[in-house]
Amino acid sequence: MDRRSFLWNCGGGLGGIALASLLGRDAAAQARPEFSGGLHHQAKAKRVIQLFMSGAASQCDTFDYKPRLIRHAGEKWDPGEKVELFQSNPGVVMPSPWAWKQHGQCGKWVSDLLPHTAGCVDDIAFVHSLMSKSNVHGPATFMQNTGFILPGFPSSGSWISYALGSANNNLPEFVVLPDPRGMPPNGAANWSSGFLPASQQATTIRAGTATPIADLRPPASAQFIGVESERDGLALLNKINRNHAAQRPGDSRLEARIASYEMAARLQLSAPDVLDIRKESAATRELYGLDAEISADMGTRCLVARRLVERGVRFVQVWSGADNGFPRRNWDSHENLAKDHGELGAALDKPVAGLLKDLKSRGLLEDTVVYWTTEFGRMPCSQGSKGRDHNQMGFTAWLAGGGFKGGVSYGATDEWSYKAVENPIYCYDLHATLLHLLGIDHTRLTFRHNGIDRRLTDVHGHIIPELLA
Amino acid sequence: MQPSAHVWAAILLATSLEAANPVSFTGEVRPLLTERCYACHNRSNPSGKFSVESVTTLLTGGVSGKAIQPGRPDDSLLVRTITGEKPRMPKTGRPLTADQVAKLRLWIEQGARDDSGGKDKQETWWSLRPLVKPSVPPTAGRTPVDAFIQKSLSEAGLAFSPAADRRTLIRRVYYDLHGLPPTPQDIEDFVKDPAPDAYERLIDRLLDSPRYGERWARHWLDVAHYGDSHGYDKDKPRPNAWPYRDYVIAAFNQDKQYARFIREQIAGDALYPDDPSAFVATGFLAAGPWDFVGHQELREGTTEKDNTRLLDRDDMVATTISTFVSMTAHCARCHNHKFDPIPQTDYYNLQAVFAGIDRANRPFYDDASANRQLQQLLREKREVQLRLQPLLDKVEFATSPEIVDLDSAIQDAGLQIAHIGLPKTPQDAALKSELEVRRERDRKRKTQLVEAIAGPETYASIDRVQAEMKILDERIAALPKPRMVYSGAAFFPRAGTFRPSLQPRPVFVLGRGSLQSPLKPATPGTLSVVPAPFVLPDDSEAGRRAALANWIAHPDNMLTWRSIVNRVWHYHFGAGLVDTPSDFGRMGSKPSHPEMLDWLAVWFRDEAQGSLKQLHRMILRSQVYQQQSARRGDGEKVDAENRLLWRMNITRLDAESVRDSVLSAAGKLDLKMGGPAVQWFSFKDDHSPVYDYARFDPDDPASYRRSVYRFIVRSVPDPFMERLDCPDPSVLTPKRSTTLTAIQALTMMNNPFVVRMAEHLAERLQSSSTSLPLQVREAVRICFGRNPTDAESMAFLAYAKQHGLPNLARLLFNSNEFLFLD
Repeated sequence: MDRRSFLWNCGGGLGGIALASLLGRDAAAQARPEFSGGLHHQAKAKRVIQLFMSGAASQCDTFDYKPRLIRHAGEKWDPGEKVELFQSNPGVVMPSPWAWKQHGQCGKWVSDLLPHTAGCVDDIAFVHSLMSKSNVHGPATFMQNTGFILPGFPSSGSWISYALGSANNNLPEFVVLPDPRGMPPNGAANWSSGFLPASQQATTIRAGTATPIADLRPPASAQFIGVESERDGLALLNKINRNHAAQRPGDSRLEARIASYEMAARLQLSAPDVLDIRKESAATRELYGLDAEISADMGTRCLVARRLVERGVRFVQVWSGADNGFPRRNWDSHENLAKDHGELGAALDKPVAGLLKDLKSRGLLEDTVVYWTTEFGRMPCSQGSKGRDHNQMGFTAWLAGGGFKGGVSYGATDEWSYKAVENPIYCYDLHATLLHLLGIDHTRLTFRHNGIDRRLTDVHGHIIPELLA
Repeated sequence: MQPSAHVWAAILLATSLEAANPVSFTGEVRPLLTERCYACHNRSNPSGKFSVESVTTLLTGGVSGKAIQPGRPDDSLLVRTITGEKPRMPKTGRPLTADQVAKLRLWIEQGARDDSGGKDKQETWWSLRPLVKPSVPPTAGRTPVDAFIQKSLSEAGLAFSPAADRRTLIRRVYYDLHGLPPTPQDIEDFVKDPAPDAYERLIDRLLDSPRYGERWARHWLDVAHYGDSHGYDKDKPRPNAWPYRDYVIAAFNQDKQYARFIREQIAGDALYPDDPSAFVATGFLAAGPWDFVGHQELREGTTEKDNTRLLDRDDMVATTISTFVSMTAHCARCHNHKFDPIPQTDYYNLQAVFAGIDRANRPFYDDASANRQLQQLLREKREVQLRLQPLLDKVEFATSPEIVDLDSAIQDAGLQIAHIGLPKTPQDAALKSELEVRRERDRKRKTQLVEAIAGPETYASIDRVQAEMKILDERIAALPKPRMVYSGAAFFPRAGTFRPSLQPRPVFVLGRGSLQSPLKPATPGTLSVVPAPFVLPDDSEAGRRAALANWIAHPDNMLTWRSIVNRVWHYHFGAGLVDTPSDFGRMGSKPSHPEMLDWLAVWFRDEAQGSLKQLHRMILRSQVYQQQSARRGDGEKVDAENRLLWRMNITRLDAESVRDSVLSAAGKLDLKMGGPAVQWFSFKDDHSPVYDYARFDPDDPASYRRSVYRFIVRSVPDPFMERLDCPDPSVLTPKRSTTLTAIQALTMMNNPFVVRMAEHLAERLQSSSTSLPLQVREAVRICFGRNPTDAESMAFLAYAKQHGLPNLARLLFNSNEFLFLD
């Protein structure tokens, strides 16, 4: 990626480089239809939807079935070693409040918390052996997003949009759809472009609100701005900017800025269209759970995510859950897991299953990765009477589509769902595999910052062949 | 950071196809050994008395004998230890790949040829050579700077571009020194000034203005990654960070000697106890993010707690070393630095310097004698605390199985109570009060148990020592309310589990950077490759920092002086002589003009006595700086990147300059200096506070202040500033990127701030004249610093007639001419 870093770091003299590159687009990639060639090798996936469960969704209440928890329910929990928990001392063995059933051809055990998602298991690759380097929300949420437990690093969405550029000049490359209840731990720093150019920042879209994209339109209070003043003004601006650039030949930044106004105008036209879900059919509304109050918001955002990727947005991140405050508004169920996970699960389940089915029926799942993750897991023992404390030693994420193999489970925790024991990994391996399917060699996607050629995968990362179709 | 095994495999695979070629020790073998073996087998830390540094040391071998037998790979110990079913080496990480082994074997087979020219190491890297002042080239030049630049230009067959006209020059130098545009009057005065020293006087005037400090402090705050909130989860506001920001502004305005500026920020409290501003200066150490949950909520004694502290010190080390000496010491956390001569021990020795300090609010007075009195009382408090703490710990950490269970029950009850919040049903209300009763009962029981363990003598001692503390507290309470600064702090009131260490915490050199693998104790120290002295006055916490500050500020620290003159150059030209201002190591760039860099460094240190204003004058008075920015065919051909400086660079205004310029044009800029950070968002405190920029009124008086005074939130960036490339305040930013995106264009068009200021500019124009043509002319003079051309006048007038002045003002704010500097 030296060429790109050169591009951004040098002050001028960019005459030979295409305008598209200056706007954060990869000129070489642009030349290939839909970048199917990939950056470093043939790509299977073109785009990613990441579903992030903020607050730490429990593996042992969703996808990591351990009958031993049921057999030993209520007994003193003894994993045979000292357990250091975030907040509490280990309580008793606590089985999930939800029953478990097998689903699909693959016979995957899924809890009744997520019955609709359970219907999609044959399209999903589960990873049960994730670990995190922190059991504190802030650092761990950074880690799942950026690969580092410290702030200041670019999110995976920024890396991917940096590597691949846009497949649609009318929309941003990297979009985040936050939970309307609020920001997750670390706030927008989770989707920061870090030290990458600011053009790799995510664009936040507040789906379903009056102003979903900040500054897309002039404020309503500015009555002096109208359709005609805007049309004439942009034409005149273009003229004076062209005149200014003509007196300074050879500076492509000036041209790039002129072009950015043309793109801005196109974005103004295309954004409302992509966000307008009113024309979606009743069947689609039903599929995403839009008509039920509990799932309407998540359903809307999943549907908008589909509409965005359909139009070429590279990376869409959908958040389930806000910060760790009270009343509980994320997955951080220290006190009452049945209630809090129950509500979040009900909000999540149908929309996510709907998204998978919808993408599949449109043929989009073939080259779109859906990536469900969280910052760490929860303990198999109780905290207090009804909650679960943090567990960084083993948790579950899953991937579907875009070249991931359906119906497989990779890695495993011990018989308690406490520690990853079979193929334990950190997010590095998932990131490496994800990049691989996007046609990117994770060791070659680098950016020099403060003396280090930084990578999303730091100095780690192995592709997991078992997950590939 | 280093090529991974995959990449090595690819490189080596490619070369193995040409097996006839001799394998190079310096080019192929040593890099591989450095990557996989050097961390344990090096000269300063030769595990098994064996170092892989040179062919000689390989031949000598270690305790197990010779490592290589030239010509006989199968008999070579090195080959045997890295091959086999379970290779004995490397001890950590994956074994060497087959290709890597093949490469080593081939090299040995070919006779283990040494192509290093007898040098154990590569030649001393440019930045680590001692500073020697080169002589100024005898070329005719206005200034020494010109002589150096001209020399390299002529070598490339180039010459300076003609001087920029005065209109261009005044705009350039205003933005450069103030980050603000000149007024039309300023421009006219300068253009018409017939005096030959008009430009020099202009520079002097700008350097004397307080606007200068506001502009240059912002650069420094980028490098130090200053913010007004903690960052991470919860991102609590940091309401006492700003005194440090004001300190930096004042330091620039007062032209504080650079050596002193360094010393104050690292150890001002220790080195200048009589100067209250030197207390504030250590805000530098606390400028970066801070993990509230990790420090304040995690339990003492857990690995996670230790890790939180390790990473906090890491930030202090990385910030200090990259800011002042432009080296990447933080790359040596897990292993010896891969490229620069920084052993892992150096890194942990630097951590030991900061082993007793945290980030916290610290009281102080602006009055020196009042401050002395307060600090003395605080020192006495610390002495008392040293005796009190072990007693309190006896109680706090008293434990038994029953206490553990009670702790869980008490905590669970607390969580359940919080979870219920305001009860919505009678059942909830009943449950809540039951929980409260139970919690109270458990607390009482716990107290009884703890009392039994700690014993009455402990409590009696606590009472005695606390009585001493109370006297001190009363004396402090009788003083006027002190000011507070968020800074490096070794003593502060406890909050949650966050408490001062009182004595420096033990720091260990950590194998692979892991707390689970302490190798040996670290001792306070610094980069061993720099010959400047590191002298500990004593082993106190503050003494350690004083030693580091003195080492950095020492005249023999070649890195320090090269670093600062390069930073200043970078901000003047938009590109440094070294284009990686915080990395002078092998992964950074090399200087474009090494001799001039050294000349400037020595001149700045000795003749200018560390005066930054003198350095600015030296640079701004040069012909190089005053050139036109237009491209020329000959220059483009030879040096399209303009590294040789045959013209001035065209730059886009940074985010702060854009916003301040819009305010200035609108006639709304409030030049009030200093004080608490101004909030350009609506704030709601909560578990995680809400920073809502959308609900802020751009006509709030806070909005009119200069950008350097804004409250910088780490978790939620200001959308306007962020879209104009204002960096993430958690990133150390020696150099900003400049992007031009559609989203940025939308923000310049539609952000409520720009739209409102366009209306204010229109009002300003209307009050300046009643004639629309004159108003239009004035608009152009304000925004572009020149009169409009006839064609522009006509076009702008027609537009303003049809759509009004506010629309014209908005258009001008969006023009390239407003946003770019020639």
